[in-house]
Amino acid sequence: MSEAAEAQAASSTLIAEEVLGFQRNMTRRGIIFSFTGYISEGILKALGDALRQKIRLESTDTKTVNRVFSVFVEQVQNIIRYSAERIEHDDEPPVELSSGMITVGSENGRFFVICGNVIGRKDADTLAARLRELAAMDSDELRRFYKEKLREPPDEGSKGGSIGLIEIARRASEPIQFDFQHISDAQSYFVLKAYI
Amino acid sequence: MAVVETIEHEATDRTPAVQFDFAAGQYRLSGESYPEDAANFYGPLTQGLRQAIEDRASDEVEFTVEMIYFNSSTAKALMNMFQILEDGAEAGLKVRINWCYHEDDETMEEFGEDFSEDFEHADYRMCPLT
Repeated sequence: MSEAAEAQAASSTLIAEEVLGFQRNMTRRGIIFSFTGYISEGILKALGDALRQKIRLESTDTKTVNRVFSVFVEQVQNIIRYSAERIEHDDEPPVELSSGMITVGSENGRFFVICGNVIGRKDADTLAARLRELAAMDSDELRRFYKEKLREPPDEGSKGGSIGLIEIARRASEPIQFDFQHISDAQSYFVLKAYI
Repeated sequence: MAVVETIEHEATDRTPAVQFDFAAGQYRLSGESYPEDAANFYGPLTQGLRQAIEDRASDEVEFTVEMIYFNSSTAKALMNMFQILEDGAEAGLKVRINWCYHEDDETMEEFGEDFSEDFEHADYRMCPLT
């Protein structure tokens, strides 16, 4: 083997070790899949199909499959609509890509869906207030609040996301967890985790 | 401008089958709904319904919904159409809404019950399917 080939073989081994370690770490955490990067509606569809197939194979009841799927759709559509890291183009068809992270997994027999994305710092305050309000509601209150929001014209600057958050809270089996990390003067990183 | 008489769409993976026959007053949505752009998908349907109700395109209206899953933006679109139907009924039009769902599907049953609260004048029926 030439020197160059030997060097390449050695570095490939390291890559395999690193990637396998990464994958095993994810598996240990119960992660079914995790996507990081630019997300589009097409990716939502593809991941959503894979997710449904996977959890159906685990012979989960239809109700749980539907709940996990619904939380997944609302979270990914929130990233697509609200991530501050985005590319838009008026091509035909129009290009809309938003950066973020979406992770689905299971832990102690329950599924969870996590999403993370960058948002404007001003939006973080509004969002935190909205999520605190939802976290304090029981299922009947969430049901009524969802209905109330459906009747109202959408909030200013909203693309329907406020109802999406209520939908997530309704399908979750415990209050949704959320957190923010300030990353610059203008931006925060937002994380939402829902157990189903 | 010619009046649109029908709107029909085959179901896709993420949009429902649509059969809107304005002249006959027969409307049906069935399947799954989480469109890429709900406003774009439901806008023309809502417009057409509003116009048909205003113009009294039919003497009676029957609107059937048979969904398996819909996202929150679709719920908003359904609400808009239901408000048009209830307004029509209040103005004297005979309106019947059929909310069909699989009998084991608690989520769709709950949605059906919640939507029913907004109807006073239209005849709103829950239709569990086996």
